[in-house]
Amino acid sequence: MSVKYVPVQWNSNKYWYDLALIALVATYILVFLNIAPQYLDHSKPTDGSIVRARAFGTCAFLMLTAILCIGPLARFDRRFLPLLYNRRHFGVLTAIVALSHALFVLDWYFNYSPYPKLEGLLGANTSYGQVLGFPFEIFGVFGLLCLGILAATSHDFWLSFLTPRVWKAMHYLIYPTYLAIVAHVALGALQSQNNPTFSLLVGVSVALVCGLHALAAWKEHSPAKSVRAADDWFVVGDVSEIAEGRAKIAVLESGDRVAVFRHEAKLSAISNACAHQNGPLGEGRIVDGCVTCPWHGFQYRIADGCSPAPFTEKVPTYRLRLDGTTVMVDPKPNAPGEYVQPVPVPEAVS
Amino acid sequence: MEDAAIVLSVARWWLYAGGIVAVLFLGFGIDRIDENARGSYIFRPLLVPGILLIWPLVLWRWLKLERNHHDISGRYNPLRQAHGPTWMVLAFLIPTLFLGALALRQTWPKDAPATLLAPPAGAAQR
Amino acid sequence: MSDSSNNDPFFVGYLGIPKGLRFFLAAAALLLIGGFGILALSIGTAQNDPGDASFEFSWGPQTLTGILQAAPYPILHVTSGSKHIPAGKTILLSGNGKRGIVPRATPLDGQLVQVTGIALKRGDLDMLQLRGGTNGLRKADAGVGQSISIKALGRWRLTGEICDGKCLSGAMRPGRGLSHKACANFCLRGGIPPVFVSSAPVEGRNFFLMGTLDDKALPPDVLNHVATYISVEGVVERHGAMHIFKIDPASVEFAK
Repeated sequence: MSVKYVPVQWNSNKYWYDLALIALVATYILVFLNIAPQYLDHSKPTDGSIVRARAFGTCAFLMLTAILCIGPLARFDRRFLPLLYNRRHFGVLTAIVALSHALFVLDWYFNYSPYPKLEGLLGANTSYGQVLGFPFEIFGVFGLLCLGILAATSHDFWLSFLTPRVWKAMHYLIYPTYLAIVAHVALGALQSQNNPTFSLLVGVSVALVCGLHALAAWKEHSPAKSVRAADDWFVVGDVSEIAEGRAKIAVLESGDRVAVFRHEAKLSAISNACAHQNGPLGEGRIVDGCVTCPWHGFQYRIADGCSPAPFTEKVPTYRLRLDGTTVMVDPKPNAPGEYVQPVPVPEAVS
Repeated sequence: MEDAAIVLSVARWWLYAGGIVAVLFLGFGIDRIDENARGSYIFRPLLVPGILLIWPLVLWRWLKLERNHHDISGRYNPLRQAHGPTWMVLAFLIPTLFLGALALRQTWPKDAPATLLAPPAGAAQR
Repeated sequence: MSDSSNNDPFFVGYLGIPKGLRFFLAAAALLLIGGFGILALSIGTAQNDPGDASFEFSWGPQTLTGILQAAPYPILHVTSGSKHIPAGKTILLSGNGKRGIVPRATPLDGQLVQVTGIALKRGDLDMLQLRGGTNGLRKADAGVGQSISIKALGRWRLTGEICDGKCLSGAMRPGRGLSHKACANFCLRGGIPPVFVSSAPVEGRNFFLMGTLDDKALPPDVLNHVATYISVEGVVERHGAMHIFKIDPASVEFAK
């Protein structure tokens, strides 16, 4: 909820979140580099650069797996929403860990040659016509480039500048990134690891990510649409279905969603999409008299869809009426920030 | 290796162009199209890597906003419909890829014999 | 999905964490951190043995005299060796990093030369990484080249893997396998001698310097088969103490 942009908007929860992330990466890397080798019964140790590349590479893969699980988990169980709150920092750190992996590889496998390193990376193996021996590095390059784009555009400026829709579309790149990274691992490291542990872990990652997302997609598909009345208004539902401080989400024929809130015995409707990242406002609460987004806590006054000063975000409002105890909504959105008189809930039904 | 060199020089030029866009956009463009950025400078270097990578998108949005095109629909229209179809494809593709790669994986042919096809004609001196 | 009970905790990022969520989040964080530790241990301890090959820095620089053979790739038949690489051995030669020494070696083919460098060793495979220029390779001051015994061992189909001789000999651990393929290709493009690792021995040897039937370096399309398990036909010859597998590139097949 920027007034003026700053590099990073910290708060104590983000500090805790980032502390946990750093602990996560530090634990993984330290155990991999310092503890695991003590249990290896090898005649001679694996090259340090290769072990470091493996440590950072596998760490980035596992982090990517965790990140991809947060979204669907938060849809199944709201207690995971705090993990979503600062997921962008998780992503940026993953990009940094993945970059470290790439640099260790580049400085070892593609170093010490008469040719430039990057030229070797892209040109040493050109067996694109076969599966075994396919230049799997190219999938890693693609994945790293995508992670770089996502990390580099994670500042809130980009959301406002590109619009949440374009930003989100671009950040869908995380899905092909996962596909590419699975290909990178499956055609690379997995081919030369005869120990089943690694294959098993990649398999679990694939099953988790694909399973959770498929389940979330299945749960979300074709939500019950609101019924259109004779005058083209839509039936939201009975007023008793809306609890104080909460909303009911109406799905219009167009697919647009309207969040109808009840606050202090009055009903108001705003767009379900938060102006920040299009989070589902209707799944939020009223906190201090304002609708509060469940994703990042952006707030809007219920009657006009404006963020309280000094913030400047706005969302469209909608007109409501009561037919007896049935809440009806006009599907035509008002301009963002346009005031609409809240509809009082008759005492008999409240 | 020559192809790789061409790809790299294209990438280099892409980044040079991005550098020019970054200078122009952060130098004066951003102040014209985003009031929250006015007077705020410390965060701007943070935008440079993003501009280097996706500068055509930056130019496109900059132009749109310069023309005062505030496309309300794009701001409150979440991209939720894309998730289902995307994962319908990926939930098939990713496991197939993983299992396919496992199935193709070679193991060291430790039992493959060395087969003599034709005995030597005789020793030679060099 | 959203739950309509009024007392389930609602997290707002810039406010404190609601009481009902503190335990859950602390547990989730600890579980994730601990889980990552366990994963690091299981993946870290599942790494393959990279094999018993390495640079032999402890031997110090080795200076050897012998007969240079430039084709298919430069090798040295040692006539006057050191404690670690005695006379009678035949060793592979390479330059620094991913550089071969073909341009330096070709004019001295068949001559008695003196080489200096650091040794690499994997089993019965030895390589010397030469110093730069004439510090690493020059015509020997005295002595004349003797003839090298060449013994033809017949036409064979061998199964195994094409590796770059340097990483295999210990410049990298591991120095073979598919994750190392691009590096192996990069070495071979730089002129490092290729070595075939056979699943079964010929005359007790599993490592073969590679070339083509007409005694040339491997053609570029063979790079497609590096690091995969293949079977290939060719003639095996013993040159001095080095076994050379001269292959017919058209006969390469993926191993079953």
